[in-house]
Amino acid sequence: MKTPAIVTEFRDGLASGKLLIQHCNDCGKPNMWPRYACPHCQSENLGWVQSAGAGTLHSFCVLRQGAPEGHEEDLPYAIGVVKLDEGVQLAVRLLPSGPEDWSGYACDDRVEFVPVSAEQIEKRPCARFKRTGG
Amino acid sequence: MMAQEWTLHVAPGAPNDPVFIGVGEIPTGKFPDRGFIQGLTKVALLALKDAGMAPRDIDTILLIPNLHGAADQADLVFSRMVEELGIHGSCKSSYMVHSGGSTSDNAVRAAHGLIATGHAQNVLVLQCERWGSADLSEMITMLSKNGIPGEWELPTGIQFNAIGAMITRRYMHASGSTPEEMASVCVTLRNWANRNENAMFYTKPLTVEQILASRMVADPLHSYECPPMADGACAFVMTNTANAKKRGITNAVRVAGSGGCVSHYCLSQEADQAVLGWPLAAERAWNQSGWGPGDADIAEIYDSYAAVTTIALEGIGIAAKGEGARWFAQGNGDPGGKLPINTNGGLLSAGHTGVGGGTALLVEGIRQLLHRAPAMRQVEGCQRAIIGGSGGSYMDAQILLLERTKLGA
Repeated sequence: MKTPAIVTEFRDGLASGKLLIQHCNDCGKPNMWPRYACPHCQSENLGWVQSAGAGTLHSFCVLRQGAPEGHEEDLPYAIGVVKLDEGVQLAVRLLPSGPEDWSGYACDDRVEFVPVSAEQIEKRPCARFKRTGG
Repeated sequence: MMAQEWTLHVAPGAPNDPVFIGVGEIPTGKFPDRGFIQGLTKVALLALKDAGMAPRDIDTILLIPNLHGAADQADLVFSRMVEELGIHGSCKSSYMVHSGGSTSDNAVRAAHGLIATGHAQNVLVLQCERWGSADLSEMITMLSKNGIPGEWELPTGIQFNAIGAMITRRYMHASGSTPEEMASVCVTLRNWANRNENAMFYTKPLTVEQILASRMVADPLHSYECPPMADGACAFVMTNTANAKKRGITNAVRVAGSGGCVSHYCLSQEADQAVLGWPLAAERAWNQSGWGPGDADIAEIYDSYAAVTTIALEGIGIAAKGEGARWFAQGNGDPGGKLPINTNGGLLSAGHTGVGGGTALLVEGIRQLLHRAPAMRQVEGCQRAIIGGSGGSYMDAQILLLERTKLGA
């Protein structure tokens, strides 16, 4: 099955170092995750805006075992939910502050988007974040 | 969002008022030699016997799905149990209800509506799961896909324990609960499991110290705070009040009301992981039943992780906001405590049977209200129960309010 355009365009954004947020061209509201119709006004006239990449960390965890198939080599790794300043939320990978060290993270920390290489996005097509100033 | 008026259009004790009249269950744990259809057949016969019925009395079967394999699930969907019970030719309808961990709550709503309107007379609800005997890596992969958007979130490497861990961390942050207080929830559940011969950990006590000494699986969750995957099966029977009376049944259990809220699909889209859909679900349930949080004698609330239950207890109003874990640490949910919680030991100590974990809690609530629980855990004079369920990545909060009812002549 062909990957839908809203998915490939979002991932292409990540691969070029940009965090994209879906933007409704009719009501002007941001949508995340991207939708096929705007959940606010049902318009199908949808585009993209680039996020400033800043937000707060709602919660996170460090997974140490039981990774899903294909993710085993990444263990341990941290997953977080970020509330972007633009008013939308997404699940991300959190970068360690040192080798396998996420001890400095806490809920409600300010976090920022970290661009990574196109190869890394190809392998794990999700956004990476780190503590602001960390 | 405020709850609007939401009336249940069936009068208590009316001829069409749906009632629970029997339950069946087999032990939960690791039973590799116990077959899937064998388990279903066993609990069907146990529930029918408990209800004083024969298979031929059943006109409608509702199936709770298994998650261990698609072929077995297809057997359920395509009416295998109708034939296994020998009611092909007379059975009117057999189908599956599915909303993950909250399926049992929605199956009750479905059966309740079918019975009250007359589409069904006698309904048998069946559940069996073989998570304890299934291949673990297959289960992890399956649980990384169910309820998780493949295109958006799977690339992060999220899975079930990661979801439980994030909810737990947010809850601990919001409430200031300590690791010891979180662990005390698991100890309360174990204290109940130690009174349930069908529980996976019936003979094994558990302490806060043991939990905190167990290995870290997904910070802040220790391995003893993660649900043990188990095989298990249970069933229950519902009919209408007129039928129950005709059969000479004098005490049954009715639905006083229900409330629900679907608050997200992806965990990342939940507005507050320490709140979820419980406050609105509770408001709707109180509105429909006229009950309040202080009116129940027991509560059977979905508990795949401790925080899942403490968040529910706070949303329902059983514990004060932010005090759910400390409420458990004070022994309030224990045997002999203020409000017995998950009297079968719950998913965390009786065993996590997938969609069946919530069904087992519901069956335990019905059993307690029918006063048919073994003496070591029967809550004396139990009249009212709060049943709570949640499915997917805690996408919904579902509340059923059940009450014991005396059927007049």
